[in-house]
Amino acid sequence: MTALLETRGVWQRFGGLVANSDVSISVGRGEIVGLIGPNGAGKSTLFNLIAGVLPPTQGSIWFDGKDVTNLPAAERCQRGVGRTFQVVKSFETMTVIDNVIVGALVRNTVMREARRKAHEVLEFTGLAARADVLASDLVPAEKRRLEVARALATEPKLLLLDEVLTGLTPTEAQTGVALVRKVRDTGITVLMVEHVMEIVMPLVDRAIVLDLGKVLVEGKPSDVVRDPKVISAYLGDRHAVSA
Amino acid sequence: MDKNFAARRRRDLIIAALLAALAALAPLFVKNVYIQNIMVLTLMYAALSQSWNILSGYCGQISLGHALYFGIGAYTTELLFTKFGVLPWFGMLAGGAIAAVIAMGLGYPFFRLRGHYFVIATIVIAEIGLLLFQNWEWAGAAMGITIPVRGDSWLKFQFMRSKLPYFYFALALCCLAWFVTWWLEDSKWGFWWRAVKDNPEAAESLGVVVFNSKMGAAAVSAFLVAIGGAFYAQFLAYIDPESVMGFQFSLLMALPAVLGGIGTLWGPVLGAVILIPMTELTRSYIGGSGRGVDLIVYGGLIVAISLALPQGLVSLFSRSKAKGATR
Amino acid sequence: MGLLYGLIAVGLALIFGLMDVTNFAHGEFLMIGMYASFFLFTFFAIDPLLSAPLVAAALFVFGAVVYLLIVRFAMRAKANAGMVQIFSTFGLAIVMRGLAQLFFTPDYRSIPHSWLGGKTISVAGIFLPEPQLVGALVSILAFAGLYFFIHRTDFGRALEATREDPGAVALVGIDKNRVFAFGWGLGAALVGLAGAIMAVFFYIYPDVGASFALIAYVTVALGGFGSVFGAFAGGIIVGLVEAVTALMLPPSLKSVGIYAVYLLVVFIRPRGLFGSM
Repeated sequence: MTALLETRGVWQRFGGLVANSDVSISVGRGEIVGLIGPNGAGKSTLFNLIAGVLPPTQGSIWFDGKDVTNLPAAERCQRGVGRTFQVVKSFETMTVIDNVIVGALVRNTVMREARRKAHEVLEFTGLAARADVLASDLVPAEKRRLEVARALATEPKLLLLDEVLTGLTPTEAQTGVALVRKVRDTGITVLMVEHVMEIVMPLVDRAIVLDLGKVLVEGKPSDVVRDPKVISAYLGDRHAVSA
Repeated sequence: MDKNFAARRRRDLIIAALLAALAALAPLFVKNVYIQNIMVLTLMYAALSQSWNILSGYCGQISLGHALYFGIGAYTTELLFTKFGVLPWFGMLAGGAIAAVIAMGLGYPFFRLRGHYFVIATIVIAEIGLLLFQNWEWAGAAMGITIPVRGDSWLKFQFMRSKLPYFYFALALCCLAWFVTWWLEDSKWGFWWRAVKDNPEAAESLGVVVFNSKMGAAAVSAFLVAIGGAFYAQFLAYIDPESVMGFQFSLLMALPAVLGGIGTLWGPVLGAVILIPMTELTRSYIGGSGRGVDLIVYGGLIVAISLALPQGLVSLFSRSKAKGATR
Repeated sequence: MGLLYGLIAVGLALIFGLMDVTNFAHGEFLMIGMYASFFLFTFFAIDPLLSAPLVAAALFVFGAVVYLLIVRFAMRAKANAGMVQIFSTFGLAIVMRGLAQLFFTPDYRSIPHSWLGGKTISVAGIFLPEPQLVGALVSILAFAGLYFFIHRTDFGRALEATREDPGAVALVGIDKNRVFAFGWGLGAALVGLAGAIMAVFFYIYPDVGASFALIAYVTVALGGFGSVFGAFAGGIIVGLVEAVTALMLPPSLKSVGIYAVYLLVVFIRPRGLFGSM
């Protein structure tokens, strides 16, 4: 069986800056894959390339056996790529349920069905009690959850999570981890970007470490954490942060 | 929850039907032609504002150039009628169609612009339209077109003796614009538009093609406004560029929606019912004597309302509900 | 002429761009400036050129007061902030027009061009042949002064910083309202200066502002919001385009050229020529 998602020799340059150089990764069906790396490693860029926010300078992106390199974000969503945003982008003037309905409309053109689907998703993500609240009135952790709910409503094959666990309290992070597992159990493949290794390592089946725009290491979380290259990359980063 | 929602939709529809019925009966009691005139204008601006609200309120693309579509509706109808003898009813539809096509044609370059750049572009394009019509000899240039009197008839949509037929048409147009909004509000388009307004990038990630959504809103909005323009031309029986395409129309379409509540179902109607009579009354009662006092009162009220109720007058009605939902 | 547009536009750019607030009453600020200059001349026989600084000072106070009384609250609106700004300042514009009608020219009387213009030319004529030339000179000076002010003084930097992040600025002890009131005052003062000069060679009537307001917006947007230099460059371009169109098209179409150039520019550069926002 082919991989669900594949990037083949992807490059991204912004002017003189190379954000991704020759990145080839693949994500298999039903996996939870963590994309990690220190700040400025090119995680977010790669993530946006996969989501279709911008086309890569070079290389190709394959999803579900087809070349999607030049498809815009909306089209990729229709093909089955759902995503969240690192900086939450809720529809602030709409209620929680309405936010989710927007996502559900991709697969259900009849309003009643889209609404039913949205309610299902809210149940699934534990937001049902907040359905009629304006998105702007949610607390940050709930907004994160709403991002996930909205993406799930599009019935994705691949869910891209951009730092959904970062900045949460330990309890909130625990619930988040449980939700991601639950999502995978429904058969959805998950690719998650996280900066902080401690949170994601217990959760993912496989970790891909990016550093300086390149794939540094890739493998089982337990192996990756012990890899000296990873440790030095992160240590370097920590020094940079503390300095 | 779904029941609540369905009940609210049904309630809106029933209230609208009741209000429309009440309005339809109003001429039985109001015989004063001056007041009837104000009622016609109020209904017309309610309809226009409702149409403007589709693009600018729901979809968030603030246009201050809708006078262009208003003028196109008026001119298409009257040019077809006076030059080719086409009945105003067909001219009206043609005007709507042309306005919608132009709106989409302009959408190609315009929808790349954001914020102030977009607003100014809409003002500028309407001004260009105005200037072109002022210099277009065949269309009467600045002198305009006087619609020849052919006697009262529904066929020619022309009435000299009584304003009432115009009143009923304006009411029907207002109901149409309201109903279209009501229907679109709970459709995929309505959801896409609100999503595009709040956050285009997130909308795109959820499979919404932002550009197409804006185009759809622009076309519907322009079509309805042009119908209003055609009506206004027949109502006045005389048009010239300034009186159907001037900047004041762009503002008068936007103001009721803004004062009543932008991006809401009831905002435009509520705003028009308060604003238009106020405009007319201050103009005729205070305007004659004080010279400018009408403007002071009018402008002062706009400042006061927009500062005191940024979400419009509608928020007065839904405030308790919104608070209850917050926590 | 372009330089004067530039001056009007720079004042607007300051308010519009640097503080990211829409001011639809800008044309009316101009109108007030013109009236102020006119009355100083009629009652005290002060030549508009001499009274220009006085007018600018008066408009400075006026702009600051407008900010404190109205705009401050408009900016605080949680919902529809953009619309609230547009319509509260638009309402203000209507009020100002009404007041002007009430107090200045109740009979919609406009000031004959030759009467005012002729005298001024004879006074100013000693130094320069055309009041327009003086206008251009003043514009350049004012622009240079403003540029220096924004980029070289602490207050200019405070203004920019306050727009970027009011919260952070509050932490270092800068009062946002004071900075913005000052900014509004400065913007209004520049327009007042333009008004004083234009009073020399333009009719003065309550609606005079409206005819310049749109061109001022176009000028600011052409140059790009947030760029003082852009507004000035935009002003020069607008002046040139107007002159060229006047040669090619009938006078009634002269603005079409300006508008067309604006559309052309933003289609190629959606943020204007020098815009950063």
